[in-house]
Amino acid sequence: MKRAVAISLKIPDNTAYTALVALRRLGVAVARVERSDVYFFEDGADRTALAARVAADEAIFNPNKHRLAVLDRGAPRRGEVWIEPLIASKGAPAAVAWRLLDEAGAPVERSVLAAAVERLLCNPAIDRAVTEGTR
Amino acid sequence: MVSSGVSGTANVALRDDELARIEERLGRAPSAVELHAFDAQWSEHCSYKSSRHHLKRLPTSGAGVVLGPGEDAGILHLGVHEGERYGVVVAHESHNHPSQVVPFEGAATGVGGIVRDVLCMGAEVIGLADGLRFGSVEGAHQAYVATSAVDGIGAYGNAIGVPNVAGDVYFDAGFDENCLVNVVALGIVNENEIVHSFAPKNADGWQIVLVGKATDPSGFGGASFSSLSLDSEDAELNKGAVQVPDPFLENVLMRASYHVLRLLRQLAIPAGFKDLGAGGIVGCSAEITAHGGYGAQIDLDAVNVAVEGMAPQVIAAGETQERLLWVVPPEIAPEVLRIYNDVFTLPDVAYNARAGVIGQVTAERRYVMRHRGEVVMDVESEFLTGSIRDELPYTEVIRHEGAVDELPAVDVEAIFPQVLAHRDVCSREPLYRRYDAVVRGATVLPRGRADAGVLAPIPGSRLGVALAVAGNPRYGRIDPRYAAEHAVLEAMRRVVAVGARPIGLTDCLNFGNPRKPDQYGAFVAAVDGLAHAATQLDLAFVSGNVSLYNESGDGLAVPASAIVAAIGAFDNVGDAVTPGLKEPGSTLLWIGSRELVVGGSVLADVLGIEGPLPGLSYGAERAAVAIVHEAIARGVLRSCRAVRDGGMLTALARLSFDAMLRGRTVGAEIDFGNPLCEGGGFLCEVSDAGAIDLTGVLRVGETNDRRELIVNGVRFDVRRLYDVWSQPLEELYP
Amino acid sequence: MSARIAVPVFPGTNSEDETVRLLRDCGGDAELVHWSEPDALRQFDAYVLSGGFAYEDRIRAGAVAAHDRMMDLVIAAADAGKLVFGICNGAQILLEAGLVPGTGPARRPTAAFAKNAPSAHFICRHVHLRLALEPGRCAITAALPSGALIPAWAAHAEGRLAATPQRLEEIVSGGHVAFVYAHADGTVDSEAVPNGSALGCAGLVNRDGNVLAIMPHPERDAWNFNHLDLIEGDDVLAPSGGSAVFRSFVQALA
Repeated sequence: MKRAVAISLKIPDNTAYTALVALRRLGVAVARVERSDVYFFEDGADRTALAARVAADEAIFNPNKHRLAVLDRGAPRRGEVWIEPLIASKGAPAAVAWRLLDEAGAPVERSVLAAAVERLLCNPAIDRAVTEGTR
Repeated sequence: MVSSGVSGTANVALRDDELARIEERLGRAPSAVELHAFDAQWSEHCSYKSSRHHLKRLPTSGAGVVLGPGEDAGILHLGVHEGERYGVVVAHESHNHPSQVVPFEGAATGVGGIVRDVLCMGAEVIGLADGLRFGSVEGAHQAYVATSAVDGIGAYGNAIGVPNVAGDVYFDAGFDENCLVNVVALGIVNENEIVHSFAPKNADGWQIVLVGKATDPSGFGGASFSSLSLDSEDAELNKGAVQVPDPFLENVLMRASYHVLRLLRQLAIPAGFKDLGAGGIVGCSAEITAHGGYGAQIDLDAVNVAVEGMAPQVIAAGETQERLLWVVPPEIAPEVLRIYNDVFTLPDVAYNARAGVIGQVTAERRYVMRHRGEVVMDVESEFLTGSIRDELPYTEVIRHEGAVDELPAVDVEAIFPQVLAHRDVCSREPLYRRYDAVVRGATVLPRGRADAGVLAPIPGSRLGVALAVAGNPRYGRIDPRYAAEHAVLEAMRRVVAVGARPIGLTDCLNFGNPRKPDQYGAFVAAVDGLAHAATQLDLAFVSGNVSLYNESGDGLAVPASAIVAAIGAFDNVGDAVTPGLKEPGSTLLWIGSRELVVGGSVLADVLGIEGPLPGLSYGAERAAVAIVHEAIARGVLRSCRAVRDGGMLTALARLSFDAMLRGRTVGAEIDFGNPLCEGGGFLCEVSDAGAIDLTGVLRVGETNDRRELIVNGVRFDVRRLYDVWSQPLEELYP
Repeated sequence: MSARIAVPVFPGTNSEDETVRLLRDCGGDAELVHWSEPDALRQFDAYVLSGGFAYEDRIRAGAVAAHDRMMDLVIAAADAGKLVFGICNGAQILLEAGLVPGTGPARRPTAAFAKNAPSAHFICRHVHLRLALEPGRCAITAALPSGALIPAWAAHAEGRLAATPQRLEEIVSGGHVAFVYAHADGTVDSEAVPNGSALGCAGLVNRDGNVLAIMPHPERDAWNFNHLDLIEGDDVLAPSGGSAVFRSFVQALA
């Protein structure tokens, strides 16, 4: 069974902070940005075993700086976009997931997310943007 | 009166006798802040308590020394340009333990720290070097450490725009559990414009300005962390000590600081400037004031923090990166703040980053800290920062003599390719091509092209600087003292081989547990070796660092690793010796020791044998340097390489590779007993051997007009040797 | 009065000093303009965006910087026909700003300088650039000889030209490939390309020929002391080698 794993930083994520500052300067109404790397695994039927296997792979996971989540869904949530390279490369994450939240901590509206994607998060020459419901 | 005493000593490395000493002096139990302050300041990392009295044996002064050890970096006189005297600022640090736990971040923050050490002497940062010791990379974990640490060094240095021009790397199972990441930074400063790491004269009432990243809980406990042995079970416990790099912020901090330094020069205002390293705010503010003969009043509520509700000891002693501390007169402080906060917009660069006044310098030599209006620390400044001493017992180290003292017959044809492909000899390019070697446009010889990196650091000036790093763990395993002497010699030879005049040294001593007499004995022996070699060569150590407790879970120390950097000077950088054989018909000379022994050599490793180490003759060494310099002065030196790992034949191969890579068709024919012995010295290509005094010099052959090396009658194709030499690290560093 | 050249400094730029120095050594009247004073850019006649990691290349190289306030003015200046020259990070910013190849609207990139391939790592390697169009097609290269070969250093992790097949076809048919990677003898093949760049492309020019973006750094092999074995004349401090591009840029302003 194919399953997605998200790996994020538990140390401060400087890139997410820069994205937040840049988006606000562009007038995109966002209060918080979360970022994680998404990997897909074919043999994910046993969640615990999958988590253990990923956690043991130092090339992508170091417990001193990373947090790991086995996802139930194979697609973005509301307020979230997955930026996938048009041409996948070996060993690299299948996508970078950006989650945008508003002042109340709720996922941003679809139009806000679309503006962020079009203006900053995605370069259509090399990336594909996947949002809730587009897959 | 300090109110809050503590009973527990959780997460503190202070020993009971040290705690008792503190309680006796304070007349009460220390507060939590005081406890952590002393824990950091009295850690080996900050206090050098078990090493300082040995380090006193190192020569640290001399004609070319502008500033010896004691401040954030040392300074060597480089030369005079347009009537102004310029110095090379140099600092050398280890970031071994952090790099083992989180290799990318640990190695990156090592670069960040060493760069700030050079910056805060008032210098412009011009170059980097690294000495790396990784485990046997057949193991996945060791390969992860070896690649991630390199990526961390690259990511940081590349982003801040400081070229990495020199370094060395060894792979050895002795570093499987403790990698070594040593970093060296160079700066250039007008000798009249040096800024010191302490408050200047008449600074009573001056303001203490904290600049940079918002203080956060990362790196809390880092100083004592680097003074405890690593145990894989503890890695999780130590996560608070993970230091988070932000080279983007450092880039801006550097440029803003250059701006402030220019302003202070224009106004002729002195200042104190210091990097926040181990011990965080309390360590830095206590030292910058105490070393000027002052005390300080610090208000923790004025510190810019990343998260609310941090305990005062975390704000005070945490080791958040990318922070600097100024001591400036009150009338200039607002302008300093404006430059960082408004001109260079620190708050936009990183979350809550900024410059702010956090306290004052006081004439009374007490260090007083407040938090939420309460005094949380009140101690005599000098009791906190003064030298403490641990006289630990050690055992004399006995050199391990090898069993074989006769040279084995060596089939050069079969063995030489194995030597070239050996992990200690093969091309490092796959690794260092991840580093920017040429940013700033001042690089004369980038990394890998010669034995040392060379820079032309002053725009419009012909003055040049050479930098090289050395320290051979194969020797370290056999004899720590010999290895230390050899590190000095090899680093010096490397800067001589590019044509520079050696002007000074730095060292980083990476050893095991000082509480084990045999491991401590190796450290003591290495200090003796460094002191002896430097004295014999009339060179001084102007900066250095000690990293102890590099000990594995089963109690083994890393191979004795005194890693030495040598700095060389050129009056005219146009005189630098360029890479590669130049012309057919040149004479090849071996200048140096002619002893043919194999102990500690790559050849010995390939053959699986042991043997006595080559002898060291400082008289011959000084003579060899003089001959190389004479050959340059007479204009007959065409190319040159120091003979090191892999012996003279490897040096010759490297010269032929560089000729081929530059499109020249030059090879060589030599005849020589065992060209894979590592007796030191130089291999030189000269146009006219008659022009120099050849006493003690051996003619070994001459160059030809083919891409071919003929060695004792055995022919090697240069291109094929190059392929053998250049490939091995491609898999690890694609 | 000579034309004035601005070298904008973004937070994270790191090659500004040597860029200004070389422009001046080539006779240009160049100075730094800092990000906190973007409006100062209005007073200049030409712009050189230097190397570095503006905003640390977070998200994508050049992506955040392309939206910096300074770029509003650089985009307006390019539209008005002023010369704009980007090197390495400067090239990445120009591409993210849509100024090169310039086949789409501003700030809607039609191509990318994507992560290097096959190895995605940063690479520092000496290279040569060969001029791939008639010198006069781009004002900045107009004073170079046809087929000029320029020594330079590639030093980047994101320098591979990438685009959809249709966009690449536009780049070729529109004559946007200004430089390709070459060997020291001028020959061109995939071995000469350090980063897997499409078309072996090392530099792009816009339609009007006033905006040029190159990935490698000619300013790092631009004085005799940078290449002592290929010294031109006898002054180690004299500009040479890669400075030819800068001289051509300055001449275009005369």
